[in-house]
Amino acid sequence: MLKKLLNIGLVVLTGGLILSACAPAEKAVPSASTQETLVEPTLAPGSVQLIAQGATFPLPVYDVWTKSFQFVDPSVNLTYAGTGSGAGKKAIVDGTVDFAGSDSVLKDEYKTVADLQMLPMLAGAVVPIFNLQSIEKDASGNVVIIKELVLDRQTLADIYQAKITKWNDPAIAILNPTLNGKLPDATITVVHRADSSGTTEIFTKALASFSADWLAKVGPGASTVQWPADKNGNGIGSKGNPGVAVAVQTTTNSIGYVELAYAKSNSIPFAQLINKAGKTVKADPASLASAMGDFTNAFDDRLNATIVDGSGAGSWPITGYTYLIVRTQSMKDCVKAQKVVEYIKWTLTDARAGKIASDLGYGLLPQAILDKVIDKLNTITCKGAAISK
Amino acid sequence: MEIKDIFTPQKDLHRWISKVTQHGDRPWNFLLLFVSSLVILLIISICFLLWHDSASARTQLGWNFLTPLLDANWNPQNGNMQAWPFIYGTLITALIAFIIAFPISIGISIFLAELCPEWLRYPLSWMIELLAAIPSVIYGIWGIFVFLPQVVTPIGNVLAGTLGKISLLQPFFIGPIPESGLSRLAAGLILAIMIIPTIAAVSRDVFLAIPKAQREASFALGATQWETIWKVLIPYGSSGILGASILGLGRALGETMAVTMVIGNSLEGSASLLRPGYTMASLIANQFQDTVSILHSDALIEIALILFVVTLLLNTIARLLVWQTSRKFLKG
Repeated sequence: MLKKLLNIGLVVLTGGLILSACAPAEKAVPSASTQETLVEPTLAPGSVQLIAQGATFPLPVYDVWTKSFQFVDPSVNLTYAGTGSGAGKKAIVDGTVDFAGSDSVLKDEYKTVADLQMLPMLAGAVVPIFNLQSIEKDASGNVVIIKELVLDRQTLADIYQAKITKWNDPAIAILNPTLNGKLPDATITVVHRADSSGTTEIFTKALASFSADWLAKVGPGASTVQWPADKNGNGIGSKGNPGVAVAVQTTTNSIGYVELAYAKSNSIPFAQLINKAGKTVKADPASLASAMGDFTNAFDDRLNATIVDGSGAGSWPITGYTYLIVRTQSMKDCVKAQKVVEYIKWTLTDARAGKIASDLGYGLLPQAILDKVIDKLNTITCKGAAISK
Repeated sequence: MEIKDIFTPQKDLHRWISKVTQHGDRPWNFLLLFVSSLVILLIISICFLLWHDSASARTQLGWNFLTPLLDANWNPQNGNMQAWPFIYGTLITALIAFIIAFPISIGISIFLAELCPEWLRYPLSWMIELLAAIPSVIYGIWGIFVFLPQVVTPIGNVLAGTLGKISLLQPFFIGPIPESGLSRLAAGLILAIMIIPTIAAVSRDVFLAIPKAQREASFALGATQWETIWKVLIPYGSSGILGASILGLGRALGETMAVTMVIGNSLEGSASLLRPGYTMASLIANQFQDTVSILHSDALIEIALILFVVTLLLNTIARLLVWQTSRKFLKG
């Protein structure tokens, strides 16, 4: 056994050595970093390597954007790795990426790198998804699956706080007259994210805004919280949007939350909410735009803004921006700096890029906010000089 | 002038080098020593890092962090964090896995080494080794979609209806199990499936390494096959089997991905196997990438330190067992 293991080890070792000996030879051909300062009018295809990482919330749209941009500017070879907001923030501070993605705002990072700039890119909605069976059977005796559900802000917070634990609770029944007498006397299984995530941060910020009791007992909202339903015994944590979706789909009488794009592309029924203005709204590009419009003037000078629980009549209440983080002064390679700016401008202004995002269920920035972001982009400098267009 | 020349340090060094490298033995020994000491260095540096980086969490959270209270808190937002639910989750899932996997794996290895017809031995061994090579995320996915709803949930319902009614066992088998099957029991069962190939493959090699003379002597004394296996082979291979079990237990304690996918990741306050739980490894995997505060990340590092110590302790206990049984065997 030991001998066998040793033999395998040796084979692996030699294999590794051969591979590592080969690798530099392959990479040596196209050297990207040779043109440091000179901005040439035409760059060789794929000669500018841009690396980015961070939030997974916007990953579906970023994936399409980064691939599409190679047709817009063939000289750029851009990769965006979905490593999570925290990892993205760390990477931009460490300087290992050209820009980063994040759903959560920066705090102490400004102390280390003073010129970090948040740029809102898109708004995303988080929606409550559910798996609910009517107690009434249809004509042929089959189980009827409920597809439409309306909740209000307080009820949603109470469900997640385990104050409402049964589906036939009067608070839910009164909001859904069409389901009168059909809601089961079953415990609500509350599914939440187990991994720390921007989706959770948006959702818990919204719950804290919906319910004073949630704010007092659980906190103002963060990427990881202690879920009251867990203690009550009806909570389940799952990893990632897919994990939450699977847990909800395999558990009858459960509720969970995922981002809208994910619920849409997997055809999972999601609830409508009664917003702050008392109107029943459905998460879609229009209600997202309305929510962004409520907070046009809420930005600080770093362009951070919380946009949950807007007061507009058509506003979806569980909404958050996803940001890109760039360095406004300390980018070292001016060719890269220019390409980063060009890429971000393209994603924000190009009609095709916008269509890609809205088709996936993300909200595009209203003009007033877009102008603020473009203004910020125009102030970016490299080695003291403005970036030429 | 000439004499001086012979004894110049350079020449001396040159001769010394050519002497010691003449047969390649010393460089070879040195190389091996270097490679082996890397392992020691690695363990020391991991230990140091975990200890050093968890310092602020240890001072701020104190011994209260380790209070054996299942109904504990883990609230990174207000800094109220306790480790016990995760320690319990890790220990209980590894224990379930080990209790189920150990007899099955020993059965498999005895069958493969002693009783299996020649034509079946190689395909079966190959399959078992293949099972050990399946990435854990695949076990997780299969668990969520097939194993949990089809197998674990029915088993859980039966357990809740039988053992859950006995007052002594009630805390451990109180139901109901979630319909999706996400529970400590599910994690334990998945882990059992994952560690069976490890224990079985290593124990099979242990049995195969036992000299033929042992079996022949036993048969010559008139022992049946059962007696030979039970009274000769198992005692002879006991230290090897224990070694195999340590490997399996180690995997069960540290397994992250598959467990995270099936355990339910809930801070549920009961001790029941049929309820969702949490393990130390899955907590770290879930939360370390994006922490709420510095105290939060330090507390997670302290959890890693605890996991490290628990693994180390269990390994030491197992080593002592091996040492004792092999000594007993030599005496008897």
